[in-house]
Amino acid sequence: MIDVKAKINSFFIFNSSFGPKEGQELKRVLFFHPNQISADARKNQVGLCEAVVKFMSTFSSGPCEALQTQSKRYIFYQPEKGFWMVLVVTIPYATKASSAIGESQGEVLNPSVMNDLLVSAYKMFKLFMGPFKDIPIEDIYSLCDEFFTPYIMSKNLTNDISNVIQGVSYLPLDKNSFFKIVCFIDLLEVTYPDFKCVAFVYNDQLIWNGLATNDMLTLYQYLVQTLLPKQVEKEIQGGAVATAQRHGRFISPADSIRTSEDLKKLVKVHLLREDDTETRQYYLIIYRALSATVCFTIDVNIPLEIETFRSLDAFIGPHLSTIASTISEQCAIHALQTAQLLNTDQKFVYFNRLNLAYKSSASLSKLIPSASIKPEVLSIIADMHTDHKSLGSYGEIIIKTPDEYWITGKSSNEREFYVIIQEKNANLKEIADEVKRICESQMKGIFFYPM
Amino acid sequence: MASTSKDNVQASTSGQGNPADDLEPGACPESVLNPSDSFEEFASEMSSSLQERNINLKSKSSTISEIQSEICDGNKDNTEITSTKSSDDLQSKDDQMSALASSCNLSNQNGEDSDNEKDDYLQSPELVNKEKHVFVLSSAGKPIYSRYGNEDRLAGLCGVIQALVSVVEDQNQDILRSIITKDCKAVFLVKGPLILVAVSKSNESETQLVLQLTYAFNQIVSVLTLTQLNRIFEQRRNYDLRRLLSGAERLIDNLFIFMEKDPAFLLGAVRCLPLPEKARENITNAITTTCHKIRDLVFAILIAGNQLITLVRMKKYTLHPSDIHLLFNLVRSSESFKTAESWTPICLPKFDATGFLHGHVSYISEDCQACLLLLTVQRDAFFPLSQAKHTIAEKLRRSNCLVAINDALNRNQELPTTNPLKHIGIPEIRHFMYKCKSTAQLFTSDPISLDRLQDYRIRHKEGGDVSEKKIEKLSDIDYVRNYRKFCSKIHCTSSPAKLIFRSNSDDTVLAWVTNGFELYVTFDALMEKDQAIKAVDRLLRWIKREEQRIFIMNAPTF
Repeated sequence: MIDVKAKINSFFIFNSSFGPKEGQELKRVLFFHPNQISADARKNQVGLCEAVVKFMSTFSSGPCEALQTQSKRYIFYQPEKGFWMVLVVTIPYATKASSAIGESQGEVLNPSVMNDLLVSAYKMFKLFMGPFKDIPIEDIYSLCDEFFTPYIMSKNLTNDISNVIQGVSYLPLDKNSFFKIVCFIDLLEVTYPDFKCVAFVYNDQLIWNGLATNDMLTLYQYLVQTLLPKQVEKEIQGGAVATAQRHGRFISPADSIRTSEDLKKLVKVHLLREDDTETRQYYLIIYRALSATVCFTIDVNIPLEIETFRSLDAFIGPHLSTIASTISEQCAIHALQTAQLLNTDQKFVYFNRLNLAYKSSASLSKLIPSASIKPEVLSIIADMHTDHKSLGSYGEIIIKTPDEYWITGKSSNEREFYVIIQEKNANLKEIADEVKRICESQMKGIFFYPM
Repeated sequence: MASTSKDNVQASTSGQGNPADDLEPGACPESVLNPSDSFEEFASEMSSSLQERNINLKSKSSTISEIQSEICDGNKDNTEITSTKSSDDLQSKDDQMSALASSCNLSNQNGEDSDNEKDDYLQSPELVNKEKHVFVLSSAGKPIYSRYGNEDRLAGLCGVIQALVSVVEDQNQDILRSIITKDCKAVFLVKGPLILVAVSKSNESETQLVLQLTYAFNQIVSVLTLTQLNRIFEQRRNYDLRRLLSGAERLIDNLFIFMEKDPAFLLGAVRCLPLPEKARENITNAITTTCHKIRDLVFAILIAGNQLITLVRMKKYTLHPSDIHLLFNLVRSSESFKTAESWTPICLPKFDATGFLHGHVSYISEDCQACLLLLTVQRDAFFPLSQAKHTIAEKLRRSNCLVAINDALNRNQELPTTNPLKHIGIPEIRHFMYKCKSTAQLFTSDPISLDRLQDYRIRHKEGGDVSEKKIEKLSDIDYVRNYRKFCSKIHCTSSPAKLIFRSNSDDTVLAWVTNGFELYVTFDALMEKDQAIKAVDRLLRWIKREEQRIFIMNAPTF
């Protein structure tokens, strides 16, 4: 597996209109990583990118996406008009000669992964800081630095299937348990009308969502990749806190909410809620009991009282703990059932573009490093995923690699299903039949056109 | 290339698991063509670093002088030839050069200042919305060729391109390769003193575009020779190369149309005119018996409608498919060959980029559209070669070969190769193309006929614009267009594939590569896999049965 971070040569954001005159070029650079790069080098890099963007605009109305040189790839992303984010990655220009020598072995990195990295970086920035255009020019440099420096440093992106296909893992529950959760959320929103529940997560799986799909993915990624891992670590270290955890506590802001001073530490976010028509600013409050985590929003214009939070804590704590125990029992039973059913050799991934539902076989999860997929195979899946349009509203593609991997991609409306099989002496028909079997056993109730 | 042990593994494990595995239709022990495929060429082309690149272009030995010295060893009369090789016909052109020396005032647009120029010309109807632009400029930024529009008015754009290329080289010690937007790719190739750029909205991959630019470069070399090209720019960096290339623009124009339509370029292979084995043998014999006494004849090539009929060669020397493609292009683009016997210098870049061969080019007769090229290292062999040509033509007529050639060209319905799909009898197959790797020859289900060639040009007159028009009935060109993606996946350098089976509501495509061949088949939509396997098996057997007719299975010499 490749550690992408090691290959990041630089990452910068620029807006040409910020320093339109000659001599003001540095003003155009909103952020530059790594920090120690000289002013001249920054100017050169940004100047090259500006020239490239300009050059292509004479031929194409679409925004510039990438620049490839012999040793590097520049990935461009323009999230808002005039604002360009550029990620420069060390990827040698691929030729047969270099791969024959083994130079690029294990270094296959699909451009779509890099593009996704930029997109999620921007979305995360927008979640916490709002869109670039709304930030006053005098603040934007420091805000970018404050946000992107730790973001880039912490991004531990490996060439993993979950980075190729970014989705949300949903927790399957029986009707009664799910009903309990919905009742809890309704009761809470009725009792505290200012608070709106936007997400209910158990471990790292989503159960309930109150956001528009796009924002949901960003918030989910923030919870699962950043906030919760830190929290879990804390819980494991501090064994004595265990009893307090039974009744839950606020985990955002980080030191819980005890005094009215703590209210000033509340995190502001920019979100589009499910029923709203525009993105607005809210306070984000996150509460956790056992393995259950709930996120609420309150409009920033509503005056906050510490008393409200104290009573909220007293209300949620016991309720949430009970619900968390119920889910935990459910999960245990479910895990037992699937363990019997699961053939450990199977490697598959399911993804639904409509609700971003993502499911992968246990053998593909990050927790089992031995089951990692070869970068070449991953790259083929990434291609299929990016190019799903070529399959139309339904279709199937089977690719065999020189080292006897068979990769199958099925598409049915907005649903995608990928299977990896390594099998010598198989033929097309046998592979297709095997894929059909896996699809039927694992994706019961989800419709794929029979092919 | 491949070891035998690898071959065995291949045979037992290939995707189809069928008896057809050991079939390698079209394979023969000796090939008239140099079968190194274009993707390997590409690799050697592109793997070089900045420094290597500059060295590579210069350190090639001359095959032509090698041949000349061999001939001279046995024939002292001809000693003067060795010294005259590449400079011959260019004396006059050299003179022109000095005349223009001062006339260029457009230079030194090195900085990025030129970016700010608003280039309205680029938005004019002549240039906007084209599927593929091609620009060739000198490393000083002087325009040499543009596929559309007028180069003079593109000086600004060329300045920008030159600036981009040199900024990446000078500041970053790197080489600019490509820029991609949502719907468009710009690919850059710096070769010697030239910068070649393709800006394309087609579905061709970067590699495929670089190959096309390499062809364009080779086309220029074939007019000038590499030696000449390098020397011109060593002497005057600002030289306006268009003066030497007048007439060659049309060759490059046609070459790009040709490359976009004919799968021969996609596969790096040559199409042969399907002929009965006996007829081809007679033609080859007619050429060898007539020419074996002409010492300095290197190649005798008979072609018709962009297809090879036969190639007789001097021992030891073979031709690369890309050189043959340039010859096809030359013949197809030059109407004048039809009216008179011509004597023309031709440089074949893969064979020897440093010097000219001299070619006697003529059509066999008025009633047969086959063109005979006799290529020699002798500068003044027109008359003996003209004599030989008439003898050959006479022999072909007497042995009824002209009829056979005409039948094939006019796609006589009685020939099995005229409508292969009908003859094979698998209704589910809509289109296929097959390349035999060891001989670099290809066969498709829709062999080109003369009227179809005409059709290419008419289609192109529409202007090469991007069109969203939904095609109602796919032509073979559209099928080939669809194969491009499969072809680039199969040859992808980082994660190659051996077999791709894709099925959707439009069609089902199978792409399969083994050590011996590459096969691309389009079936009806939603084709069953086992049906597809059976169909491919039958298809391969049919090609095997007809291989003597479809392919050139020997490698005759003088």
